[in-house]
This record gives sequence, C-alpha cells and structure tokens, in this order.
Amino acid sequence: MSQLISRSDLTAWINALLAEYTVIAPTKVDSLALYQPVKRADDIFMDFGITALSPKEWLFPPTETLFTITTQDGTMKLEAPPLDGKNLIFAIRPCDARGFRLLDKVFLAPPADTHYAQRRQNTTLIGLACSKALPQCFCTSVGGAPNDASDVDVLLTEVEEGYLVNIVTEKGQAAVAQAKLIEKDVTPPSPPNLKPVSTEGIVEATLRAYNDDYWERLADRCTHCNVCAFVCPACYCFDVRDHINQGKTERLRCWDSCQAPGFTRVAGGYTPRPTKGARLRQRFGHKLLYYPQQYGDLLCVGCGRCIASCPVNIDIREVMEDLQKLGVKSVSARA
Amino acid sequence: MSLLAPERPITNPFLPYLATVKGVTQLTPDIKLFNLELDDPEVREGFDYRPGQFAFVSAFGVGEAPFGLVSLPHWKAGVEFALRRVGTVTRALHDLEPGAKVGVRGPYGNYFPLEDYRGKNILIIGGGIGMAPLRPVIRTILERRPDYGDLTIINGARSPQDLVFADEFDSWATAPRTRLELTVDRGDDNWSGQVALIPSVVQELKPSPANAVAILCGPPIMIKFTLARLKELCFADAQIVTTLEAKMKCGMGRCMRCNIGDKFVCADGPVFTFEQISHLLEPF
Repeated sequence: MSQLISRSDLTAWINALLAEYTVIAPTKVDSLALYQPVKRADDIFMDFGITALSPKEWLFPPTETLFTITTQDGTMKLEAPPLDGKNLIFAIRPCDARGFRLLDKVFLAPPADTHYAQRRQNTTLIGLACSKALPQCFCTSVGGAPNDASDVDVLLTEVEEGYLVNIVTEKGQAAVAQAKLIEKDVTPPSPPNLKPVSTEGIVEATLRAYNDDYWERLADRCTHCNVCAFVCPACYCFDVRDHINQGKTERLRCWDSCQAPGFTRVAGGYTPRPTKGARLRQRFGHKLLYYPQQYGDLLCVGCGRCIASCPVNIDIREVMEDLQKLGVKSVSARA
Repeated sequence: MSLLAPERPITNPFLPYLATVKGVTQLTPDIKLFNLELDDPEVREGFDYRPGQFAFVSAFGVGEAPFGLVSLPHWKAGVEFALRRVGTVTRALHDLEPGAKVGVRGPYGNYFPLEDYRGKNILIIGGGIGMAPLRPVIRTILERRPDYGDLTIINGARSPQDLVFADEFDSWATAPRTRLELTVDRGDDNWSGQVALIPSVVQELKPSPANAVAILCGPPIMIKFTLARLKELCFADAQIVTTLEAKMKCGMGRCMRCNIGDKFVCADGPVFTFEQISHLLEPF
C-alpha cells in the first residue's frame, strides 16, 4: 500500500503549510521557472521541467550579510543578522536536493558555517520525482536518480490519482501532519530512462590529463560569462567583501565564479590562474578531481543546467568523455 | 603535520575578534609593523598560535585579507603583523593610527615544525616582506638557542631601506653560532654591505646540507633561483621549507581561491616542504 494525496488535497495541504512555513516553490517569472516564496498554492507552477536556477540560493544566498559593523558611543559592535524562520522548499527535484548533500559536506564540516547550518536545519525539502527527462539530464550517471528520495524529507511522485507521498524523515513526517493522505494500492510509474554518461575512472583521468593542452583548447571558446557557476546546484565559490550603504557597514558573502579572471589575483597583481584554460581546469578539476578526493562524490548532480545555459556549448558530459580518452593515450601528469 | 585546531569561543566562523591598534612602526618606506591588542581579555589570553600561522586582519568597511603572524604569543605584548602597502586592505590599514579598531580572525593554517628541527643547522632565507613570517622563526630559535645547531640568516631586499626588522639585526648577528648576511639589489651612499641577489649569496656561502633545514620566503622569482642553488648544494626537497601566499576569502578550505590543485594553502599549508610542493599540480 502507498500513501496518496489527491490534487485538491495537495492544494489544501500547501495552503496549510503556508501558515507554518515560508513555502518556496517553482513559480513562473516572465518566461522562467524559479523557486520563489509563494503566498498561495495557486502561485505554484508544477509543470516546470527544471527551473532556471536551482533552489541553492535558499540555503546559500547569492548575497548575504555575515555581520553588520556599528559604532555607538565610541563602542564598536559586530552583529550577525537573525536568520529566517522555518522554510519549506516545495517540489525540489532529486538532483537539486542532492546538491545540498554536496554542499553539506563543505559547509557543515567543522567549523560549521553558521549561516548555512541554521538555514539547513530550518528548511524542509519536499521533493518531486521527475516524470520525464530533459535532453541535458544525466543524474543517474553521477549517483542520483529521477525518483531518488535519499536527499529529501518527503518525495512526491505524480500519478493519475494525484501524488504518491513517500515520507523519508521526521522533518517530513512533521510537514505532512496536516496533509490528507489516503492508503491506496498504486504502482509507482517507472522513472524516465536517461542516456548514461561514463564516469568510470574520471578522477584518475582528470589527474592524468592535468598538464595536457586540452584545457587551453577547450577554453578557446569560453567567454568566462560565469553562468555555469551561477546555475549550478553544487558550485560554492564565494567572495567576502565589505559594503557601506547609507552609513551601514556590512560584511557580505556573495557567490563568485572561479572563471572570473581576477578570482585568484593577489594584491600587487600576481595571478596564479592567469589563463582561461587554467580557470576551466580549475572548474572541472574541482568537480571531477579535488572535491572527489576530499569528499568522495563528484561535485556534479547531473541537472544539466550548465550544459543548457552555456553560450558556447561547453558540455561537462563531453569533457568527461574527452578526459577519459586523453587518459588512455597520454601520461603527461607530473605525479 | 597536524593542524592547530583552536577552540573558538565564537560560533560564526566569519566573525573576527575586535582589536585596537596599539603601535604602528614604519619598517620600510612601504611596510609598517602593526601591534594589535585583542579587546576581550579572555580572547587575548587564549589567542595561541605558532610561527608560520596566519590570521585575517579587517579594515572595517574596506575588507579583510590574510597575513602572517610575526609575533609570538608568549611575549604577551600584542599580536603583530608586518604589512606592505600594496592592495586595498593594506592601504586602508596603513592609514590607521593607534587607537583605531580592526578585526582579527584566526589563527589559521599549519606552522613551521620547529620542534622537529631541534639539533639541526638552520638556514633562513628571506626576501623583502618575505622576511616577515620568518621573524618569529628566528626569534624562537634565538630564545632557545642551545636547542639548535648553527643558524644562518640571509636577508635580502631591493635597497637598504627596504630591509625589514633592521632594529633587530644587531641582536640576531651577535647571538651565539649565528650568522647574519644582509644583501641588497641596489646599494646607496651609506651601504657598505653586499650588493648581490639572494641566490648568488647562497652560491657564495655554500651552506652545507648536512643535518640542515633551509627555510625560504620571498617573491616567486627569488624562490625559484634560490631553490636551484640549494639543490646544486645537494639540499633534498624535504629539507627545504617555504610558506606560500594566495588570495583567500575564508581560511577554511571553502572559498576555492587558494587551492593549488587539490591542496589548500589555507588548510593544508601555508607551510610546505618542497617535497610536498613538487607534487602540487598548479604553479604557485
């Protein structure tokens, strides 16, 4: 027996959740689907395929205040802002939820990033299994699946009668407390088939191809627009900078991209990664070699957003394939 | 080498300790020594660090940047940084006067394993501001002079007025079994010392690699040629130690600016032997 919620009860449930949580869900913003806080269930756009941006920003915002600096009566005070209340991300895709698993390893390791950790703790993830695959999707090749429930608190799967409700965690249990679930014998639909991408030996292949001129050749067409980093659910490069606005001084953390030419430039002008090739090698090196060595997984969830948004068609699937081929014919690493 | 994992009394790892500028000493035309007192007495007492470690210094409203700690905690005389006026943060810090508030976040990184060097001859080679992080190394060895073998210090700079910690040279040079070689790229009317590049001084001096450790810090070009001279003298990569610099925003291995391949200057370094560095993937 499975637990099921009808379409009308789903609406009622979401409206009930709105009393307790800030509900962040896919919405239609002009021609884009984006995760935004909603005021009512009707605001949610369920037929979204994949959103333009992942919901990463709701745990790791593009810009956030780490602390404010105030001086009163000659005494300086540094204060971290209070963090938001309870959030619920509704209809998160399994790949985007896996992105949080990858970010957890970075931000929850000691010393835990208090901003990320508090948001993580206060956020419930209601997943929505994918009923169809897009041409750029390859989650099954990097450890995920269109119906993977392992990184969400509840997983919804659309069926004819409504949605199957798979409650995964205690947080999920709390979230469905107000949902009208019915027990019914429903066979879950089989997940869509995805074209597999070989990742076998990719860590070693990336290492072997390290000093190959492949990176500069690949970079010829890169415009360092940085879009790949900003759409990625797993990228986490950041900048920390001070900002003074109307007399208020804040220290901000902002998303950054390792593709930006000045990313590693030190005072005085020296830049350890001076070329586009060196910077692209950093991007793919981080995803396919450094992060896996540090944390075990590839730093990619197979959502395909970087593939769909790259203006010059740099495709991580092709890069992996190229690296595997290079690895076979060249042994140019300094190891 | 293990990381010092300081128990930090604050929870937000980006929140610096407040500190007051106690003293500012002009070391060279563009380098000032800042003596800072951490405001909270408890933090001040517990702020422990070792030669080679670094901390971020904040000029509030401008930003923060990482700098090597150049004092020693048991002096109980404040936390010191030697800062060259070269970027936005150091420009802002250079404008500060005693009494000003700054932030200190740290300490971070590993350190020179001076305990392991006991009984060895130590060769210290610093170029320009690269001498700054070597000052606490020299001072530690001088404070515990009998624990170490011969100490040779080669300190070079562009000109005589660019040599840092000149007021300490007499005490270094007169310490037992200690030799101080000063050299400049260009002399001036008052300079009677050597006019030579550091690698040439090393070549002249021919330090023996027997039971020795060479500790280097300076601009990349100096490191490159000094390293070649030391290798000609049969120093093994494991006997040569340096401290690396990189752009950093966190100090916790997260912002992805200071990694050199799979190693982080902030968390795996900044102190590396050349044996470790020769395995690094990217140039540094």
